[in-house]
Amino acid sequence: MICAGIDGGSRALKVVIFDVAAQKILASAVRDQHVDHNGLAEETFGALLREAGLQRSDIKRVIATGYARNLIKAADTTMTEITCHAVGVRFLCPQAMTVIEIGGQDSKLLRLDPPPASTVRDFAMNDRCAAGTGRFLEVVAARLDTTLSELGSLAERAASPAAISSTCVVFAETEIIGLLASGVAREDIVAGVQNAIATRLTAMAGSHLESPILFTGGVALIPGMREALERALANPVTLSPQPQITGALGAAILAGRSIK
Amino acid sequence: MNEPPAQISLEQWHHRYTSLRAAGFHEAPYGGPLERHFTAGDYRLAQLRFDNSAAALRLWNFLLTETERLFAAQRAGKKIIGTMKDLGTVPIMAYALPDTIAFYPDGTWWIPCIMRQSTRDLAIADSLGIDESFCPVRAMLGAFETHQHFPPPDLLICSVGATCDDFSAIAQRLASRGLAILWWEIPARRTPEPTEEAIALPGGFLAGGRQVDFVQAELQRVSAALAKTVGHEVTDARLAEGITAANRIRDMLRQLRNLVFTAPRCPLPALEMLIAEMLAIHYCSDRQQTQEVLGELLAEVLRRIAVSAGTLPADAVRVFWVNPVADLQAMNLLEECGGRLCGTEFMFCHALDPIPTDVAPMEALARMALADPMIGPSADRAKRIMHDVRQFGAEAVLISRIPGASHCALEGSAIRAIIQRESNVPVVEIEVPPLNEGVRASLRTRLEALVETVRRRRTS
Repeated sequence: MICAGIDGGSRALKVVIFDVAAQKILASAVRDQHVDHNGLAEETFGALLREAGLQRSDIKRVIATGYARNLIKAADTTMTEITCHAVGVRFLCPQAMTVIEIGGQDSKLLRLDPPPASTVRDFAMNDRCAAGTGRFLEVVAARLDTTLSELGSLAERAASPAAISSTCVVFAETEIIGLLASGVAREDIVAGVQNAIATRLTAMAGSHLESPILFTGGVALIPGMREALERALANPVTLSPQPQITGALGAAILAGRSIK
Repeated sequence: MNEPPAQISLEQWHHRYTSLRAAGFHEAPYGGPLERHFTAGDYRLAQLRFDNSAAALRLWNFLLTETERLFAAQRAGKKIIGTMKDLGTVPIMAYALPDTIAFYPDGTWWIPCIMRQSTRDLAIADSLGIDESFCPVRAMLGAFETHQHFPPPDLLICSVGATCDDFSAIAQRLASRGLAILWWEIPARRTPEPTEEAIALPGGFLAGGRQVDFVQAELQRVSAALAKTVGHEVTDARLAEGITAANRIRDMLRQLRNLVFTAPRCPLPALEMLIAEMLAIHYCSDRQQTQEVLGELLAEVLRRIAVSAGTLPADAVRVFWVNPVADLQAMNLLEECGGRLCGTEFMFCHALDPIPTDVAPMEALARMALADPMIGPSADRAKRIMHDVRQFGAEAVLISRIPGASHCALEGSAIRAIIQRESNVPVVEIEVPPLNEGVRASLRTRLEALVETVRRRRTS
């Protein structure tokens, strides 16, 4: 039996096709999000099916998740990204107890029930401000005239990370302008921003974090972020094997379970 | 006349009202179709879904006519006492006096939530330097300027001390506008010292005897000011009568809560429960009518329970809600996402406890005032919440936060940590800003996720 999960995130759309019997990912795709969420989902899903040599009728069930989940017409039903990430993480890292997920416009911290359960014990999410999210890094990259993919290598060369506000992207951007004007190195600013995001997550985490801690979501791909989180949490943080597709994978697995 | 329980829109209430009238429905003097409040400017009513019972209609009409009631009382020569921040204490003293009613100007925070958002209350507060970084209670600054929501009170009383920082700032701004305010101090509740008598408070807490004496002395000062304003003494006999009446209302609310939160099918929606509970502290400026409104709600709830009828599916997730919201749609949203209210702590749970009747009335009020959850440690609030979570069988705890409301900005996290430490119940914090449709999608995600979390844990 084959199922699919579609994660309509704010910055990227992720699709996973999953063989339920073999418990194996057959194909996956990540695309930059578009204003037409459903159109992009249809196109990406269709392309992935072709790539995997499958027909739409081969897919027994599709679950959509993510911020655009209710717009995706290919889905049979929807689940929130909280639930889907928990299931995806349990598949990829069976022992994980805590999940940090930083996406384009939100960040989440999930406390999981002990394995083998893939249930969430509770969770916390950022509120209105994007200070703890990938959007923060995009703003910084633009301000420092670099790209997201280069941020990590810049941060690795930091000698003395700058102190930057962790509470507001707008204030932080103003701070960055001030730091640049003061001659602070770009490397130190990037490292400071990574620390600020990690600090924000720490505040969200509260005092009861259980290890192993798994880091997932698109921002996990940016070098230096995992280390910043480890420093802020004073705990080892493991990078998810396929951080961008965790939610879509969880949705696909849940689609399979809903048929059983 | 009795239709199956349902949640209906304002427009649907128009038709429901017509059929109720045709069936000979008996209304209170402040009755009428719900949409008349919308026509008068309560535009946000159109975004809500209401319980379809006649009892709920009466509750809404009672709530939405408080302004008219206050102006009518003043025209009739009654003394109007404005009391701020004490959450249920001063009104008991005021209602002990003849021809006197009390109201909470801080209750103006509801106005942008539901009533007459076209009024300029918040804009006026902005212009007075109290912007959106403050608690929505700042709306009362505008209300005191416009005199549209309540008449100028004959006496304005405010408790200070262990109250929210931003509320204090707002009240001080009022004073700086030339309003005469009688300040009385409520200290932060502390553990009795070893050398001090430990006094039992409602809710199971303790306070030092010296604190109780101090608050009692402060309330005596308030009592003297009330007597001077009204021209009658607040005697022990009158106060005892007031306490008895308050306890009657509290008893009805406790019954209502027990019935609604423990019924297998939810017999009354979250929104109406929030409004009903608010009556505990201020009676909507009519203590007698409060009893009648609650009596009808209780009868409706009992009727629904008897026939296993409810407004929500039987498997709705049982959620304990901490702190009131500034956007009432959040209460509807919980139910749309598959949840139901199963316990609340809206920061005035002490006003639901019986006031002691085995001590002198003024001491009883002092004990009650000291039981206020807002003046004690967060651990006390968490302890009570945990107790009620267990009592009502809640499956999750939702802690809501209003941006700018400094009292709960950090307390939510503290309460969350304690509940997480002491139980296995999922706890989630949400921020619900007033007048902000922009966060509705993310709020929905959080509520849906909480409901999913509980459902998956049920079957795991």
